Amino acid sequence: MITIKNVSKWYGEFHVLKKCSTEVDRGDVVVVCGPSGSGKSTLIKCVNGLEAFQEGEILVDGISVGARQTNLSKLRARVGMVFQHFELFPHLKVIQNLTIAQCKVLGRGKEEASQKGLKLLETVGLAAHADKFPAQLSGGQQQRVAIARALAMDPIAMLFDEPTSALDPEMIKEVLDVMVKLAEEGMTMMVVTHEMGFAREVADRVIFMDHGEIVEDRPKTDFFNTRGTDRAQQFLSKILSHSGGLS
Amino acid sequence: MYEFDWSSIPGALPFLWAGMLLTLQITGVAIFVGIVLGTVIALFRLSKNKFLSGLAALYVTGFRSVPLVMVLLWFYLLVPQLITGLFGHFDLDIRLLSAFVAFALFEASYYAEIIRAGIQSVSRGQASAGLALGMTGGQAMRLIILPQAFRRMIPLLLTQAIILFQDTSLVYVIGLSEFFGVAYNTGNRDGTLVELLLFAGAIYFIISFGVSLLVRVLQTKFAL
Repeated sequence: MITIKNVSKWYGEFHVLKKCSTEVDRGDVVVVCGPSGSGKSTLIKCVNGLEAFQEGEILVDGISVGARQTNLSKLRARVGMVFQHFELFPHLKVIQNLTIAQCKVLGRGKEEASQKGLKLLETVGLAAHADKFPAQLSGGQQQRVAIARALAMDPIAMLFDEPTSALDPEMIKEVLDVMVKLAEEGMTMMVVTHEMGFAREVADRVIFMDHGEIVEDRPKTDFFNTRGTDRAQQFLSKILSHSGGLS
Repeated sequence: MYEFDWSSIPGALPFLWAGMLLTLQITGVAIFVGIVLGTVIALFRLSKNKFLSGLAALYVTGFRSVPLVMVLLWFYLLVPQLITGLFGHFDLDIRLLSAFVAFALFEASYYAEIIRAGIQSVSRGQASAGLALGMTGGQAMRLIILPQAFRRMIPLLLTQAIILFQDTSLVYVIGLSEFFGVAYNTGNRDGTLVELLLFAGAIYFIISFGVSLLVRVLQTKFAL
């Protein structure tokens, strides 16, 4: 579904991504973790072309993201993305947040888009908030709306860029629950996150990045149970030291 | 002690009203054209295309660097020649036309800067979110960025509109009588300048203040 081949990217002199290669198959859930500045957010933003890259190739459902002749808008409409800071449209009501792209991008009718939107709000448990503005919702609720907004486009895959790192601790679970449900329903997902509990529960593979490189790319059980590189080990011990440690 | 003499005002009211209509016409045209053209210039200015952004910068700097009175006079002196040259004849009120054109183009340069700042105040993440949903750059600008930018700009746009409303009095230099001009001429003729200017000032205040109040009410009502 998503193939990343030898992707390199520079910001001026700074080498952000170094020959990154990996794959996400249909129905797979791949978690990407690593210290801040390791390039994981940049990598996921390359997948839907929000960030350009200078070398390598990324294929999404067989379509090359970096190719000149690719209609990026059309491709992005089929790949959902959830952002760290939600990025709901504050001037639109919750339901309008869910319908605007359905109408303007997919050309769906208002009625159809609304029905679809309401149904999705229901699945994330927020149907009662359809007519509110995003600012009236809590962070966790906003992020669930953002997930519903992306799902409204009937995406073939979902990208999550640190979906819980801007949330208060008590709201993280409600967002993760929605994501777990999505994973269990078979959605193809690429998730940048530090939530190792989520990775243990639903990930098929875990990718560890550091300094722009993919250092480890292993099946979940391997990643958590057998010792890998020192860098990954160090990282894990740091982020797990407050949540019970490694089993 | 000075004795106020308000007697010349009632008779002058129809003329003052006609003057006010002209003032409002010029203001209205300048706000409308100014915002539309200002938006285009702001988008040019923010464009990655060096030629377009340079052109926009030149426009803004150019108009900001000369007094409005001078722009007004230039258009008064140039526009008729230009139109006669292009179409061979000319039968419009040139004073009115030059006032419309000069004010609109001049205001566009100020609005362009306000709008540019407004667009830049909307976070990049908002554009990314629009793009990620499959919108084109133009759609994201039109549906996501501009609506938010304009809401934030309302106080500044209003201030600029009020300044413009009051600046229209400058059209006296090309022989047009708008509200202030009528008041001044009437007062001068009847020897009641103080009264007429006090009256005109009161009207300016009422309209400017009224519009500010109205905008504030609308802002809270529609949660803009």
